[in-house]
Amino acid sequence: MKRDLSVRIGSLELRNPVLVASGIIGYGREYERLVSLEEIGGIVTKTVTRHARAGNPPPRVCETPAGMLNSIGIENPGLEGFLAVKVPVLRGLPCAVIVSVEGENVPEFCELVEGVDGSGVAHAIEVNISCPNVGPHGMRYSTDAGMAREVMGAIRPLTKLPLIAKLTPNVTRIGEIAEACESCGADAVSLVNTFVGMAVDARTRKPILGTVLGGLSGPAIKPLALAKVWEVVQAVDIPVVGMGGITRPVDAVEFLLLGARAVEVGTALFADPTLAEGCVSEIDRYLEKMGSSSVDDLIGGLEVPEGRGVIRAGCAPRTVRGGRAS
Amino acid sequence: MNLVPCSVVSNREITQGNFLLTLKVPRGFSRPQPGQFVHLRITQDVEPLLRRPYSLEGFVERGKLRAARIYYSVVGRGSRLLSQHQPGAKLDVIGPLGVGFSPRPRRLPILVAGGRGVAPLLFLSRSLRDRKRPFVFLFGARSRRELYGVREIRGGRLHVATDDGSVGFEGSVLELLRQEWREGGHTPLTAEIFTCGPHGLLHEVSDFARENGIRCEASLEGPMACAVGACRGCPVPLLPGADSGRYPAMCVEGPVMDATIVDWARLP
Ligand SMILES: Cc1cc2nc3c(=O)[nH]c(=O)nc-3n(C[C@H](O)[C@H](O)[C@H](O)COP(=O)(O)OP(=O)(O)OC[C@H]3O[C@@H](n4cnc5c(N)ncnc54)[C@H](O)[C@@H]3O)c2cc1C
Ligand SMILES: Cc1cc2nc3c(=O)[nH]c(=O)nc-3n(C[C@H](O)[C@H](O)[C@H](O)COP(=O)(O)O)c2cc1C
Ligand code: FES
Repeated sequence: MKRDLSVRIGSLELRNPVLVASGIIGYGREYERLVSLEEIGGIVTKTVTRHARAGNPPPRVCETPAGMLNSIGIENPGLEGFLAVKVPVLRGLPCAVIVSVEGENVPEFCELVEGVDGSGVAHAIEVNISCPNVGPHGMRYSTDAGMAREVMGAIRPLTKLPLIAKLTPNVTRIGEIAEACESCGADAVSLVNTFVGMAVDARTRKPILGTVLGGLSGPAIKPLALAKVWEVVQAVDIPVVGMGGITRPVDAVEFLLLGARAVEVGTALFADPTLAEGCVSEIDRYLEKMGSSSVDDLIGGLEVPEGRGVIRAGCAPRTVRGGRAS
Repeated sequence: MNLVPCSVVSNREITQGNFLLTLKVPRGFSRPQPGQFVHLRITQDVEPLLRRPYSLEGFVERGKLRAARIYYSVVGRGSRLLSQHQPGAKLDVIGPLGVGFSPRPRRLPILVAGGRGVAPLLFLSRSLRDRKRPFVFLFGARSRRELYGVREIRGGRLHVATDDGSVGFEGSVLELLRQEWREGGHTPLTAEIFTCGPHGLLHEVSDFARENGIRCEASLEGPMACAVGACRGCPVPLLPGADSGRYPAMCVEGPVMDATIVDWARLP
């Protein structure tokens, strides 16, 4: 029996639900010899901003128990540089290309979405409204439902490409932000971006990162990420792309069981460049064991005792499509 | 650059806390240049999570055996685990990575090593000797015990400095460099510097080079995540005028860089 791993996110067709997260794989070519792009669903590019950014002062990365902190500060060549230098690089990639964008204000988001749409290279746009490392505007758009609505509403009419809003976990009620994005025409939401974190060197009495605060990622955040994805899956009807701490291939299956339609592999790829392909094989193996021919049978297949695990009090979870009632 | 499975041939403690690791590498591992490095996955576990970068101390091809050597110190979680790997153990390696020392120096190379920073310079000195190029090797260490590899340095002129005076000149290798420059009759047109060691030393050596207009290449160290230029986690701050608002990535534009434009004070 041939198993069908393909999934749809709005009009985006992926041959399988495994993507590499933004900021991990550059623009695809950097890891070309180490990651088999033809085997995975796609990649999300490093976030592109309106103007070129040199990024934050070093040190920008620091290892923490079972994870890492980063404060890269969205180093990127800006929209013009992206169009001139990175688009030709992305054009020939043998997988879906999701371009990540972030603006400092609504007009910048609009310019970015129009620019990326016009480039003809993107299969979808991930709207990064959640970066913790770029000063005051960074997370603003996804810590406030009103602002998330403002930006998603403004860009929706500008493109036919699927729009995926990337959310920050650094909020109390992430479901509300996801709903706001859904109500303004987002085709999907992806989460989580990194958790705000900090590291201190007791010997020198100094913070370790150049920017003091950074974003925590890696296996250490997986339980936190699963809970946020679970909350959002209950809150919206649009597809959810889950990520945060995927380290072993079976972690990807866990996110899909919760109801995520696709997953993004992040930090752990630095340790194991074969991880994304490993996730694809693991999903296939899991389906084989289930005796199932389609990944739809796995998505949302978590068996939760009735009435348990409801995150938003007084609000019944919506049915997860493709999932089983339990 | 490739992802290659390697096996440990030997992993010996040379002096207290300093180890020499010899790895048998497969054909997929291309012949490295002095100054290039590898990214080692030390454990399949999640702690420590990230790979660790190590410069190559040497590369041997004898018949069918191809082996890469690393000279390393135990400083923390990862290197402690690395030191426990026994012969036969498997390690997964990405490499060779980065930009090494200029392969064909046009001037007389003066190699300035500090402590375990000697590793890539030993590799460089062997490649110079193979090409019958003269060089000067200045080696500074805390004491006699840390003078790893001195007996191997052939084909060039060697001067040693130790902090405790147990061998050679008592004092800093920077003093040796000043003396060599004063007395060796060198000029910026006839000699250049290749250096590796603690950042404090590299800072001093590069200041000396800049003040005297000498070409100077240094091998840098710092935290890395991907080591292939994708994450932008390893930026090198450059001096005003040299940076044009841009941070080169140490892993792909280094680890060997023009030391005279690096802003050492802003480096971690
Ligand atoms: C291109 C490159 C080449 C290198 N070549 C060598 C080499 O040939 N031999 C060698 O012994 N080491 C080399 N290093 C340094 C080596 O990578 C670190 O010592 C190692 O990563 C420390 O890992 P750990 O888990 O033992 O320490 P951790 O537990 O991560 O840290 C323990 C302590 O070591 C310090 N530390 C962490 N990273 C470094 C670093 N890069 N340099 C100095 N101190 C550090 C930390 O600040 C901390 O105080 C190189 C680094 C780079 C970037
Ligand atoms: C070095 C690094 C750079 C990142 N850069 C971006 C970025 O530019 N845009 C973005 O949306 N997320 C960025 N992220 C966040 C990841 O895409 C992902 O959301 C997060 O790391 C959680 O997943 P993980 O635990 O699997 O790494 C970055 C993460 C890391 C570690
Ligand atoms: S370590 Fe990722 S860019 Fe250098």
